[in-house]
Amino acid sequence: MSLIGPSKEKSTPFWAFVSPSEPKIPNIQNTKWPINPIDNFILDKIKKAGHQHSERAEPHKLVRRAYLDLLGIPPTTKQLNSYLENKNPNAWSKLIEQLLASPLYGERWGRHWLDVARYSDSNGMDENIAHPEAYRYRNYVINAFNQDKPFNQFIIEQIAGDLLPAENSDKKREQTIAAGFLSIGPKMLACDDPDKMRRDIADEQIDTTGRAFMGMTFGCARCHDHKFDPISIEDYYGLAGIFMSTKTLIKYNVVAQLHHHDLSTKEEKERRNKISQIEKKISVKDIQEDTKKKLQDEVAILKKDSPPPYEVLAVTEYPTKDVRVHLRGDYQTLGDTVPRRLPPAIAGQIQHPMPNDQSGRLELARWIASEKNPLTARVIINRIWRWHFGRGIVPTPDNYGTLGEKPTHPELLDYLALEFIHSNWSIKAMHRLIMNSATYQQSSFTDESIKNADPDNELFARWKIRRLESEALRDSILFKANLIDLNMGKSMLTASKHKYANRDKLSEHIKSNKRTVYLPVMRSSGYDGQNAFDFPDPAMINGNRKSSTIAPQALYLMNSPLIHRCSNALAEIHKKATSNTPTSNRINWMILHLLSRPATKKEILRAENFIHTYSPGNGQATWAAFARTLFASNEFLYIE
Amino acid sequence: MGLCLNRQLSPLSRRDMLKGSSIGFGSLALNAMLTTESSSVPLPPSLAKAKRIIFLFMHGGPSTLDLFDPKESLKKNNGKPLPYDKPRIASSKTGNLLASPWNFKQHGQSGAWVSELLPNISSIADDLCFLNSMHCSNSRHGGALLELHTGSDTFTRPSMGSWINYGLGSENNDLPGFITINPPSSHGGSGAWSSAFLPARYGGTMIRGNSKEMKIPFINNPLKDRSKQRKEIDLLNSLNHEHLAKHKFNTDLESRIESYELAFRMQMTAPEIQDISREPAHINKLYGADENPTAEFAKQCIMARRLSESGVRFVQVTHRYWDSHGNLRGEHEKLSKEMDKPVTGLITDLKQRGLLEDTLVLWGGEFGRTPVAQGDNGRDHNPHGFTMFIAGGGTRPGIQYGSTDDYGYHAEKNPIHFHDLHATILHLMGVNHTELTYRYAGRDFRLTDVHGKVIKDIIV
Repeated sequence: MSLIGPSKEKSTPFWAFVSPSEPKIPNIQNTKWPINPIDNFILDKIKKAGHQHSERAEPHKLVRRAYLDLLGIPPTTKQLNSYLENKNPNAWSKLIEQLLASPLYGERWGRHWLDVARYSDSNGMDENIAHPEAYRYRNYVINAFNQDKPFNQFIIEQIAGDLLPAENSDKKREQTIAAGFLSIGPKMLACDDPDKMRRDIADEQIDTTGRAFMGMTFGCARCHDHKFDPISIEDYYGLAGIFMSTKTLIKYNVVAQLHHHDLSTKEEKERRNKISQIEKKISVKDIQEDTKKKLQDEVAILKKDSPPPYEVLAVTEYPTKDVRVHLRGDYQTLGDTVPRRLPPAIAGQIQHPMPNDQSGRLELARWIASEKNPLTARVIINRIWRWHFGRGIVPTPDNYGTLGEKPTHPELLDYLALEFIHSNWSIKAMHRLIMNSATYQQSSFTDESIKNADPDNELFARWKIRRLESEALRDSILFKANLIDLNMGKSMLTASKHKYANRDKLSEHIKSNKRTVYLPVMRSSGYDGQNAFDFPDPAMINGNRKSSTIAPQALYLMNSPLIHRCSNALAEIHKKATSNTPTSNRINWMILHLLSRPATKKEILRAENFIHTYSPGNGQATWAAFARTLFASNEFLYIE
Repeated sequence: MGLCLNRQLSPLSRRDMLKGSSIGFGSLALNAMLTTESSSVPLPPSLAKAKRIIFLFMHGGPSTLDLFDPKESLKKNNGKPLPYDKPRIASSKTGNLLASPWNFKQHGQSGAWVSELLPNISSIADDLCFLNSMHCSNSRHGGALLELHTGSDTFTRPSMGSWINYGLGSENNDLPGFITINPPSSHGGSGAWSSAFLPARYGGTMIRGNSKEMKIPFINNPLKDRSKQRKEIDLLNSLNHEHLAKHKFNTDLESRIESYELAFRMQMTAPEIQDISREPAHINKLYGADENPTAEFAKQCIMARRLSESGVRFVQVTHRYWDSHGNLRGEHEKLSKEMDKPVTGLITDLKQRGLLEDTLVLWGGEFGRTPVAQGDNGRDHNPHGFTMFIAGGGTRPGIQYGSTDDYGYHAEKNPIHFHDLHATILHLMGVNHTELTYRYAGRDFRLTDVHGKVIKDIIV
């Protein structure tokens, strides 16, 4: 049995499988526009297409853009003014630093990663079993972004954190929690064929890992060689061996149960042992009353302040096993055994054999997170670019295969990938680089010719406006009504592990004032209206959310309890801040508060007319209606 | 991207055309954004036999051996072991053969077999096309339910309602194109009506509750004052138009302005259509909406008809819960009573209105039940052979297609997999199932994956 099967590679290497090389930064003459090399790459392309870049956006638009982009919440009027009044030439960079240091940042950008991680607080699918411990993974992601955890480390922990050495118990917990990435995926938990179930779970893990970190659709090779990419069915089962040697479930019979680690401290475990021993004694039939009483007191003391077990939803190891090729994906029609290995088309033909005493997850993780992997850095910096601009340099961020789209700016992609590696895989360094560029700071108000010529903004010759995501929209509304609770959330689920999550509770959860990232995500069900703003299906990885315009969104903004509760609360704030001032002043306050700019004369006239005729004699109702209208306005809903 | 057969333009190429054009964006762009296109690009009438579909989903898996598929051998060998091996994979432990406790008779000109549990459906047997050889692969509710609704019991895929909505669009601007009434919240949940990777607008709108309170989410204005809300929308329009002018043209912004008008109209239209209290007494009587135990399901069937005739492309109604592992006799008798008259009423009503010609009605569960007993009065899940029926929309009435083996365990003659059912439904709606595709994750996906054959023999 040879380690590597017959090569199926063709002659010309595919661009994404060739490591990035240091590109030449285009020389740009006769303009002072470029601020950093990003702009050279971008402007070069714009000029070659015979177009112009756009002007810098107005300062108040830029502040709002930066807040919404990095924090998912618009600035207060005070924050707005403090930037506008700052005449320091470094004011913009300072603002970026200040926002990157805010804990709100990780909640916004962590949520982007949770889209890729198909995060969910319940299984959904056939049996909606609760994941009451999944929130630890969610909060791990948020903290990782806030701490700017090097992304290569972030990758390794998510694939094999449970296998990493840890210097202390906190580190052990953190790393194990990260490996929840592999456990939180969608599963069919009621399946009368446990062999099929195990393979389906491994398949989901292979597919998600491949697409999340490398933009590769390995899952396609489960039944036959990949039709388009150089992944053979043997390569698939080489990876499958790694995941089949990984334990995700503890029980396969219907309804199957997920594996949890008990990472309680030694003392806690001992204490619980002791409690159960004493409880055993108490349960003896002929126990004397006073002994019983004594023992019960003892238990009560032990139980006092005893925390519940520290349980972590994450995978662990199985005895290792290479698997045989499943012809046409059928586990009953077996071909040759394939050793556990990395895909040769990317990792090369010559590889170290996988260890005999471990699944190989750690080796897989280290290879993915290596700077030698041609895909990984390109995939993540493209994701970051996509989340900033609404469009990736590779327009298909989850697919770098032959059926994905090619990068519009391949040299820029390589430049950023290498910068990223040199910056020790720092996501925050990428934000700084991107946001300080002139490209990022362009206006969305630009002449028609470029919009006609480049409707999808492939040239990045302007800022293309985009709608707030479901979470940013709700958070912004709650924030502006001063109702938001900015404390970090835990789990809101009431169901314990292995029990059903209650979908009916969603209507309760949505009433919370916590940031939306902390509301439970239930797979195969969601928040009516709220999720209509293109919240992605958490059964699939999604690094490229859609942005649709559909009537249920309008109904939500017109009629939902959220919008009415928040517009009423805002009317109260408004009253305190502006009563006894002229109507025009009061209108201006509201527009400045919600849209981060002063009202125009025309708007004031129009709004005055509305205020006077809407509900004469009912000031509060009128101002609430005015607030509601602004919440629903395009200027509030879009990042400009 | 997606290709819709027999259409001059697919939704996407049409959108692409709009995107590339520099002239004003009016209602055309809006149409593309808001799901409605079919009216302007009609299907060739010869190909599209059905314009809309009503799916009566029997959640839990009705025992069609006790409803539509009598077996002489089963009757004769009651209590004896099954003479061949049971399937390798099964959900519960089962014993020996269990004869149907109910009597069967042939009905109508067609001589279709229907049991005494369904006296009303028996009376319209000549309008129905029985598919006696259905089968699927999954022996559990969730898996089989998703297989029936999406074609896959393994991955998250768009539901057939979403595919149809995507391929054909809605017939009515003021209503969603796909509505599901009281769907199960378990066993797949929104997976059964989700658009998955298709654009969100093709997903189903779920309405729940009892027939009185079933509303499209957030359809009611809490202020209950239409004129005030009109003032808010007028102000909003003026703000948005001013904003739009600064952005020159932008289809997103423009569509959003229109979306508020649409929502405002929907607030009028939808509750009117859903208001079943307007139905005359003879209709209520026909469906059994005026008496128990049929009233609740009857009202949902009436609502389905009202939505369907108003142009909702795909309407699903769910009746539950047919999972009789234990008390087969009691439960199936009760469930049949609740379901029999409303379903008959719906089909009769559609026929009287001339709607049955181009409305496809599909009846069935996620699987059937075993001929072998679970306990002494129950049957286990059986995905290997069961019956569904279909009516109208260009299907051949009064036939029984396919059959199960002598004991009713496995589909034997002309087996129909869910993929074949999907291919046939799409065909009836004028769409070739191999050409209705959507590219996702580097692959062109279909409702029927790489399977599916159109059952020509059941088509007029």
